[in-house]
Amino acid sequence: MAHAKTIGRRTALKAGLGLAGAAAGSGAITGFPTIWAQNIRNITLRQFGTGVSNLNALADKVKQDLGFTLAMTALDSDAVSQKAVTQPRSYDIADIEYWICKKIFPAGVLQPMDVKRIKNYDKIVPIFTTGRLTPESRIAQGTAPHTVGFVEGPASTKFAAQPTGWMTLIPTIYNADTLGIRPDLVGRPIRNWRDLVDPAFKGKASILNIPSIGIMDAAMVMESLGRIKYGDKGNMTRDEIEKTTAFLIEAKRAGQFRAFWKSFDESVNLMASGEVVIQSMWSPAVTAVRSRGIACTYQPLEEGYRAWGGGLGLSKNLSGIELDAAYDYINWYLSGWAGAYLNRQGYYSAVLETAKENMSADEWGFWMEGKPAQSDIKTPDGKVLEKAGAVRDGGAFAERMGQVACWNSVMTEDRFLVQKWNEFVVA
Amino acid sequence: MITGLGRWLLGGFFALFVLFLYGPTLTIVLLSFQGPEGGLTFPMRGASTAWFTRLFQQQAVGDLGTAFTRSLILAAMVMAATAVVSVAAAVAFRRRFRGAGALFTLTVASLIVPGVLVSLGVGLLFNLLGCDASWWNSAFGAQLTWTLPFGLLIMFAVFNRFDRAWEEAARDLGASPGQVFRHVVLPIIAPGVVGIALFGFSLSYDEFARTMLTAGSTNTLPLEIVGMTTNVTTPVLYALGSVTTAVSLLAIVAALLAMRALRPRVKPAP
Amino acid sequence: MRAAPYLLAAPLGLVLGAFLLVPMAAILVVSVFDYDSVRLIPDVVLTNYADVLLSRVTWLTYLNTLKYTALVWVLTVGIGVPIALFLAFCVQSAALQAVLFLVCTVPFLTSNVIRMISWVPFLGREGLFNGALMGAGLIARPLDVLLFSDFAVVLAFVHLYALFMVVPVFNTMVRIDRRLIEAAVDAGAGPWAVLREVILPLSKPGIAIGSVFIITLVMGDFTTVRLMGGGQRASVGLMISNQIALLQYPAACANAVVLLALVLLMIAALLRVVDIRREL
Repeated sequence: MAHAKTIGRRTALKAGLGLAGAAAGSGAITGFPTIWAQNIRNITLRQFGTGVSNLNALADKVKQDLGFTLAMTALDSDAVSQKAVTQPRSYDIADIEYWICKKIFPAGVLQPMDVKRIKNYDKIVPIFTTGRLTPESRIAQGTAPHTVGFVEGPASTKFAAQPTGWMTLIPTIYNADTLGIRPDLVGRPIRNWRDLVDPAFKGKASILNIPSIGIMDAAMVMESLGRIKYGDKGNMTRDEIEKTTAFLIEAKRAGQFRAFWKSFDESVNLMASGEVVIQSMWSPAVTAVRSRGIACTYQPLEEGYRAWGGGLGLSKNLSGIELDAAYDYINWYLSGWAGAYLNRQGYYSAVLETAKENMSADEWGFWMEGKPAQSDIKTPDGKVLEKAGAVRDGGAFAERMGQVACWNSVMTEDRFLVQKWNEFVVA
Repeated sequence: MITGLGRWLLGGFFALFVLFLYGPTLTIVLLSFQGPEGGLTFPMRGASTAWFTRLFQQQAVGDLGTAFTRSLILAAMVMAATAVVSVAAAVAFRRRFRGAGALFTLTVASLIVPGVLVSLGVGLLFNLLGCDASWWNSAFGAQLTWTLPFGLLIMFAVFNRFDRAWEEAARDLGASPGQVFRHVVLPIIAPGVVGIALFGFSLSYDEFARTMLTAGSTNTLPLEIVGMTTNVTTPVLYALGSVTTAVSLLAIVAALLAMRALRPRVKPAP
Repeated sequence: MRAAPYLLAAPLGLVLGAFLLVPMAAILVVSVFDYDSVRLIPDVVLTNYADVLLSRVTWLTYLNTLKYTALVWVLTVGIGVPIALFLAFCVQSAALQAVLFLVCTVPFLTSNVIRMISWVPFLGREGLFNGALMGAGLIARPLDVLLFSDFAVVLAFVHLYALFMVVPVFNTMVRIDRRLIEAAVDAGAGPWAVLREVILPLSKPGIAIGSVFIITLVMGDFTTVRLMGGGQRASVGLMISNQIALLQYPAACANAVVLLALVLLMIAALLRVVDIRREL
């Protein structure tokens, strides 16, 4: 079946668009002996992904620490998936999200990574290996990262149920999303996802404009209303999809939604301009609204969070010294500086232990342990984000990532889902 | 030709139209003076020129300067190619030739086929041929499929009811086809050609979909800006808009002054 | 001399052949592929076309897109003709005409992405326009309908595309022989009669070319409807982009083929009324 799948995809593209041959053919290892230290400076690794993690600061630090050049290209999320699948010649490292990895990795454009070459592999947060934050945790619904985190072997594109030693993506950042609110305009405590469709916020609510994710926001609301109990919100049945879109159409006709957002920036602008007072949101986007002097809360809810994760994948075309450099880069990524940098933006890093070493006790306490800040919390460029005494919304890492209800996902019925979503848009 | 009240009414309408075109620009210019703590929307949080300074520093994501340079060069290439290819093709269409209908249909189809799919197809083609897609090859070609139809159709408007008597007169006087074109046709169509060159430039400069999967490992300006909006964006984007607008307007004023200065001073004898 | 038109048309043919025909062929092939949630399946199935053509959703979406197209067309003709009239007949010097055109182009040299962001602070509840209306005492509360509505979609389209009508109409108008107008005036025709009987009929090819631009631009739009409609207004482009975003290429390709066929038919009908290639 797995074999059939890969072949299916390959032949598909070959027959239709004639792509896969080029991608797979150039993957042969050509490794030639080199004097490492001299040659590595001439290497440029080309990475692309969304602007969330393709930060210039990371590339600068890589140049400084490792000596080679990391050329970063930031794109929007749609362009990232298209490029990953159809333009394998244009990148060495793909920075993609786990849910879309479910579609990208089977296309055969990435090569699995040998965990033996990854120094801090054992320290990676177990969400990405076993799916459980602690041995007692429940595995959340949806495309949980560990379900697409491993393949069966070095040449395989079939996802493995257990850790195999061949990783598809090295987790870089992840987070748990919830509702963001404007406490000054909402005027009452918000505790549940169902508050999103409270008629009091008519014309002032928003959700994500990516069908497979927006529908999960809606599912969190539906379940919170007690209208339905999903088997798996991240993999709905046709019936569940129908009911959820019917609910969305009902809310749309009632004028509940102002506008849907797709990019980070849109969510910030909608909130900061007062167009929207309650919407599903990312933690750093809430921070961005707040940094403009506008009250905004990242509101923990009883039903839990909708989580997502991203990671780095290696292009199938990488080999020889470039491949070595890529492993160096990945090891560097997990060694702490990058993790600390991302944690300070409100995201979470894959190896907590090393990140902690790169953060002050106060920073660690504020960002990761839910403790009140002892002194002002600053951005990397020195702007004050939070005053001393502030506590992070949602509290500690374990509280947030321990309350994940569902991961962003690709559903089995996603063909049907897109049809229903288009029905909702036209309604 | 039109005088009196009609002239004033039309002039007023034109002024309103220009105001309408500059509506978003006005917002952009205002908000580019946003205070250092402010964002991309109202309310203003003070006023400052901080974002103009920040425009020339490194951003958190992306590299505006390099992407801008790349886009300008690409737009200039597309502009030149659009002008030359469209004019040539439009001259061809003035006579009957086999395949004219098919070529015309293909040109119109080029306006309709979704840009993302053109991008995908051209990107895959380069992959298949083993060429590295880049802004100056595959993206250049993909953008031409967008600008050429505009160029050709506008040239159709330019050549509409073009008086062939002038050309015939020149030919009768022994001018070669090249000479007829250079000395007779070109001066008459020149404003139209400048027009399609401008169209080609701004269509290329602004094109997103057709560049998305054809620009290879680097970004043009629209791609870079969209990439930046996946993280915290700042009024730096507006500052960029304000600077572009100011520089373009200054260039127009400069061109006007230059024209005035170069105008022949000597009046022809009565 | 016989070969001249072929040589002159060759560059256009080559560019479109390489960069358009190949993608179009790929679109046709992929449109009959099957697919599921993770992969494409090479096959010859008609389900994608059945999904497109037999679904009420598609028809409603096309209807909505046609509605935008019709509205934008009426408005751009209504704006484009007087603007072209002004530029062609009220502005005498060619240099001044060029300068006025340049002035109109300048706003478009700010990237569209940035302009699109700026509509929120321009038309939003706390935006410039609502502020001005309230300041003038015309309204008591901000108008919601200015943004994320059909109004906003059409407004943005007109803003983006009005010049695409102005330019071809202007180009045909400057070609009108002034002696014709003088003759009409001498024969006692008033300004309206001159406009109706002389200028407009002779500007038809320009209006037709502008219409081709407006129809193709609006029918094929991908981003304006999403951004200005707040993701809650339907268009064919948005439908296709939702499919592409989830790598559902066969569905997107089938949709694109249908869109191409429909719009080509619309253009063919238009060109039957006004043959823009006749009087070159």
